[in-house]
Amino acid sequence: MRESRSGCGKATSSPAENYQLARRRTLQVVVSSLLTECGFESAEKATVESLTEMIQSYISEVGRCAKAYCEHTARITPTLSDAVVTLNEMGFNVDTLPGYAKRSQRMVITAPPVTNAPVIPKALIAGQKRTHPSHIPSHFPEFPDPHTYIKTPTFREPVSDYQVVREKAASQRRDVERALTRFMAKTGETQSLFKDDVTAFPLIAERPSSIPYLSALLPSELELQTLEETDSSEQDDQTDSENTPDDPGADKENSVLLAGGVVPSVKVSEENMIDNPYLRPVKKPKVRRKK
Amino acid sequence: MSTDTPLYLTGKQCRIYRVRVNDLEAPFIYNDPTLEVCHHESKQRNLNYFSSAYTAAVSAVDPDAGHGELVIKVPSELWKQGDEMNVLKVYIEFSLDQPKGGLHFVVPDVEGSMAERGAHVFSFGYQNSTRFWFPCVDSYSELCTWKLEFTVDASMVAVSCGDLVETVYTHDMRKKTFHYVLPIPTAASNISLSVGPFEILVDPYMHEVTHFCLPQLLPLLKHSMSYLHEIFEFYEEILTCRYPYSCFKTVFVDEAYVQVSSYASMSIFSTNLLHSAMIIDQTPLTRQCLAQALAQQFFGCFISRMSWADEWVLKGISGYIYGLYLKKTFGVNQYRHWIKEELDKMVEYELKMGGVLLHPTFGGGKDKDNPTPHLHFSIKHPHTLSWKYYKMFQCKAHLVMRLIENRISMEFMLQVFNKLLSLASTASSQKYQSHMWSQMLVSTHSFLKSISNVSGKDIGPLIKQWVDQSAVVKFFGSFAFNRKRNVLELEIRQDYTSSGTQKYVGPIKVTVQELDGSFNHTLQIEENSLKHDIPCHSKSRRNKKKKIPLMNGEEVDMDLSAMDADSPLLWIRIDPDMSILRKVEFEQADFMWQYQLRYERDVVAQEESILALEKFPTPASRLALTDILEQDQCFYKVRQGACFCLAKIANSMMSTWTGPPAMKSLFTRMFCCKSCPNIVKTNTFISFQSYFLQKTMPVAMAQLRDIQNLCPKDVLNFILDLIKYNDNRKNKFSDNYYRAELIDALTNSLTPAISISNEVRTVDNLNGDVRLILEEITRSLNMEKLLPSYRNTITVSCLRAIRMLQKNGHIPSDPSLFKSYAEYGHFVDVRVAALEAVVDYTRVDRSSVELQWLLNMVQNDPAHYIRHKILSMLGKNPPFTKAAESPLCNEALVDQLWKLMNSGTSHDWRLRCDAVNLYYTLFGLTRPSCLPLPELGLVLNLKEKKAVLNPTIKPEQGLDTTEMTGNTMGVHIPVMGFTSSLDSVVGPLGSSSPEPGQVLQEEDTSKKFKIREDEIDMESPHDSQAFIHHHLNILERPSTPGKEPPAVDQAVLSLPVTPLPSSFGKESTSSSKHSGDHHHHHHHHEHKKKKKKKHKHKHKHKHESKDKERDSHAFSNSPASGRSVRSPSMSD
Repeated sequence: MRESRSGCGKATSSPAENYQLARRRTLQVVVSSLLTECGFESAEKATVESLTEMIQSYISEVGRCAKAYCEHTARITPTLSDAVVTLNEMGFNVDTLPGYAKRSQRMVITAPPVTNAPVIPKALIAGQKRTHPSHIPSHFPEFPDPHTYIKTPTFREPVSDYQVVREKAASQRRDVERALTRFMAKTGETQSLFKDDVTAFPLIAERPSSIPYLSALLPSELELQTLEETDSSEQDDQTDSENTPDDPGADKENSVLLAGGVVPSVKVSEENMIDNPYLRPVKKPKVRRKK
Repeated sequence: MSTDTPLYLTGKQCRIYRVRVNDLEAPFIYNDPTLEVCHHESKQRNLNYFSSAYTAAVSAVDPDAGHGELVIKVPSELWKQGDEMNVLKVYIEFSLDQPKGGLHFVVPDVEGSMAERGAHVFSFGYQNSTRFWFPCVDSYSELCTWKLEFTVDASMVAVSCGDLVETVYTHDMRKKTFHYVLPIPTAASNISLSVGPFEILVDPYMHEVTHFCLPQLLPLLKHSMSYLHEIFEFYEEILTCRYPYSCFKTVFVDEAYVQVSSYASMSIFSTNLLHSAMIIDQTPLTRQCLAQALAQQFFGCFISRMSWADEWVLKGISGYIYGLYLKKTFGVNQYRHWIKEELDKMVEYELKMGGVLLHPTFGGGKDKDNPTPHLHFSIKHPHTLSWKYYKMFQCKAHLVMRLIENRISMEFMLQVFNKLLSLASTASSQKYQSHMWSQMLVSTHSFLKSISNVSGKDIGPLIKQWVDQSAVVKFFGSFAFNRKRNVLELEIRQDYTSSGTQKYVGPIKVTVQELDGSFNHTLQIEENSLKHDIPCHSKSRRNKKKKIPLMNGEEVDMDLSAMDADSPLLWIRIDPDMSILRKVEFEQADFMWQYQLRYERDVVAQEESILALEKFPTPASRLALTDILEQDQCFYKVRQGACFCLAKIANSMMSTWTGPPAMKSLFTRMFCCKSCPNIVKTNTFISFQSYFLQKTMPVAMAQLRDIQNLCPKDVLNFILDLIKYNDNRKNKFSDNYYRAELIDALTNSLTPAISISNEVRTVDNLNGDVRLILEEITRSLNMEKLLPSYRNTITVSCLRAIRMLQKNGHIPSDPSLFKSYAEYGHFVDVRVAALEAVVDYTRVDRSSVELQWLLNMVQNDPAHYIRHKILSMLGKNPPFTKAAESPLCNEALVDQLWKLMNSGTSHDWRLRCDAVNLYYTLFGLTRPSCLPLPELGLVLNLKEKKAVLNPTIKPEQGLDTTEMTGNTMGVHIPVMGFTSSLDSVVGPLGSSSPEPGQVLQEEDTSKKFKIREDEIDMESPHDSQAFIHHHLNILERPSTPGKEPPAVDQAVLSLPVTPLPSSFGKESTSSSKHSGDHHHHHHHHEHKKKKKKKHKHKHKHKHESKDKERDSHAFSNSPASGRSVRSPSMSD
């Protein structure tokens, strides 16, 4: 009964599957032999399948109930009486069972092939399990993992030694840069310094830009950011902001400003104190029609 | 007043449709002899021949001499009217089709409208080059007032000279017309234009100053310009004169021809001068550029020059007042350092190339009188000069101004400038008597006259020595101390026989630092006296304990143990104030140099001693240099110099050197963490002096070598650690220059690979250290793609490093990487660095493919600066020279270069001179040796000239250039040059017409911001007219206004109003809008009026009809424009 129970449990790994399939096949054999006993000469596969399903459900239910009864009486292993009560409860007369078992035409069914019971994966053990205090008997269940009921630090104490910090920051930055540039080099076009081994020291291929002075003159967002924040920024930020400076046309304000004659008029309202010919509004052409 | 007297105007590459003089069609001839210098493909290939032909061609159209490319025959009807007819209005209808020079269009190849793409155009040129974009009298001495109108796309801003009077939409509201008026008489050569979708910044301190930059750069502009008002204040204060123009505009453009160019009331700068607040190194450079530009506004734009020979006065004064600004802003140390640097540079050039002559006089005009026979070009015209020569010319000019200042005192000097300026500004406001305007032109004569008036001193000898004569002085000095007489016996010899040197006679200052103090002596250098006895003041070291007084009054303790016990001399300096243009090689003992370095407070003396100490690799020198390095009161550039000297000394002392590598412990102490000395502090760059030192030290350290002549492992690891631990996160300044210099340091550490012969360079046999270096370089270069640094400094350094790796045989030598970085579309600094590598490759590998590639780029690259740069780099690092044989030197190359300078570079004076320079470097003056002998064998030059002549040049050469010949020549040109002029006009058009019309159409529509500079009105003075009165039967040429007889002027003034009232009446109404004076002026002033039309159309007829439509629109809509004058023509 325990076997069937575990059989219907969740199992996806292939040894567990094998185990289950073997039990299922045995059940099919049982169903088939019962059908033969009853005088059937053949049965449709679907029928056999349905009957197998039924028998499996029945056995599972018996197992589940028996377990429930046993636990109800604060035991962990079902006894015979649990099974009997269960069968009775399910409307089966237990007294008929010995007779049925000893019927003459019963067929002997080979035992299911021995397969390894599925290994239950070990639960992640984090930290030391607490031992029972003296007032708790040792047969009581063990304490669960500490992380399930007390806080677990997810980081280590920061290293405060200056040299180590610098060392780490430097190597971290170098690693990030190296990883990033290698990634860029792998995913894009490259140029090589060597003819024999083009993968050694790959250089990201240069890309001519239409407006080269923009990226060369404007500070990158990273630089602006460091300028604003006096605190040290996370190294990882580098990667985030890397792609942005190249974005053309990001400056919407400019394109608005550029929209022709708007420039002076907008500015005049802002700085109406200043009289500069370039800020004056553009005059409308004088309409002079020939009469 | 009988016959036809042609008018000469200058204009290049224009297509002129019609010319009318006072509404009468005038026949004209357009001939530009500089298009092709030597016609008739002769087999002449010697530079002497070319140079003289080129000079002749330039002379033939020299506007200073009254010549020009465009010869207009004034209709005889007008001459018949004789005296009454004194106003000539010249109307020229022309177009400029894809100009190669004069105007530069920058049209980025991206999506969007022209404004969104940041497309812009600006005028450029070397010296007087305005004729490249409109016909004019392109001379600095022909002044007139201006009215300029530019119709551009509504999204664009047109910035030009003068005051923007108004901006008016065109009728369809899609375009705007900018109306400019420049009431101050200005030479056409000082007129410029710039159009683009500029962002506008009104200077917050001076509202009449407006700055323009390209889209998205406004924050940089704000920061970079935040300082300009101080420069203004400085100049106005020292000159006690207000800025002469009513407004000032700065425009920052991409692909600029030069970093700074000044025009009347505006300056055009390279956009690469802009920087943010995070950038340290660029800041002083940008401010210096601004200061230069502004100095040229006063002297160069407002005050113009009488002739080319007077150029030195303007360059000298503007350079001199710029120097004063440097002194005030950056300190005396920086100023003296700069003067020394400029002097050294100039002296070096003169000694190498022969003299630089500031004020050439061409007496008699005979070839034999060529004042500079040592040069391979003529200095008769600015346009025939080598660019380098011109730079040295400017350098010498301001140094000479400084000499004059030394002579007459700064106060008088400034008074002279003030006088020039106030005379000019009085003259500029005088509208009626244009001969007054000559006060706005400076000449050598007038300048010297005001100096003698103001100071009462005679500076004639000084001028004769440095201005009228080329070359510098070369001194050799040595001394001996005569203990008995207590006299210093100084010997000063001169070398005045080698090229570029001259003999100096006159006073020279010698400063002697003795134990008892510093004493100045003025010695007289005479013909035969070499030895000078100078009595010493101190008995040799009696009182050891006493402090020693220095020149500046300071008293210091010195450790005198190093001294010669018998001599009281600490150090001696010859000409300490650099008041002679000279090179001094002085011999004194090593301890004297060391004392000089430690205790002399003058940075020039310190730099000199650093240079001298290189020859004394001793522990004492080492100590002196180290002490200087540690002294933070010491000028940072001296300390930078000390770094490199220390590295050299360390290398010479290799075997006896003790302790860690030079500068390592110093650097550690100054810049590394106290707790962990191997890690550099996080960057702050708060002290700029330390910043510069921090940058320099690793570069110098990398020059150290051990016994195997390798960079010590210690040093290399040290530099690698600097790179590794560099941390700029908490810095408010960018560290891009610092990181670039660390890469430079890696480059410096490279030494040639030990190579087994002809082994192919592979990754596997890469040396371990080199592998580390290469890894850093690749990573830095790759990171630049993701996070570009300011001006891509790191890419530039990486490219240099890679070239160095190739050159030293660590990695395969291959130009393809550099070629890709050199392509158009990279930042200009990167391109130049890459091109430098290609040039170097070309020389080392003698590759004709690369040379071809470079020359192709010279011909085709869109950026003029790059073209110029390639040629000058090829000149500096030539693939071969005339002295050596080379497989590259072949007939095809000769032909190619010849073609390049003969006809391929006619649109850019500078480029042509660069090509000439290169040709000279490669082949020398005579016929290149690789050419087959000419058929007749070697023919003497003189004979060749006679044998193969081209029609344009012939008269000039045949008759030699006298004033008269110039004129007769002018007569000749129209006659004989007619066919050839047709050639030159039709030629380029014919060649471009096969281009499919569609392409051109596209070009038209895409370049939406058609610059329609519809009219440029010129009210020119009547100088030329005056001349015509005198020389009616010869050609019109402008005389200098000063020479003009006053009688003519009066006659002119009394003349009646011009005929053609219909058109002129309208004109006057328009001008009356500006001012009454102006109006008056228009009526009574004899003037020439030029109407110009410029449109970028290819198909003349088709577009002309359109133009007419547009014009009639415009006319009806804007009566204020001078267009009204044209209206009768439209109705015609």
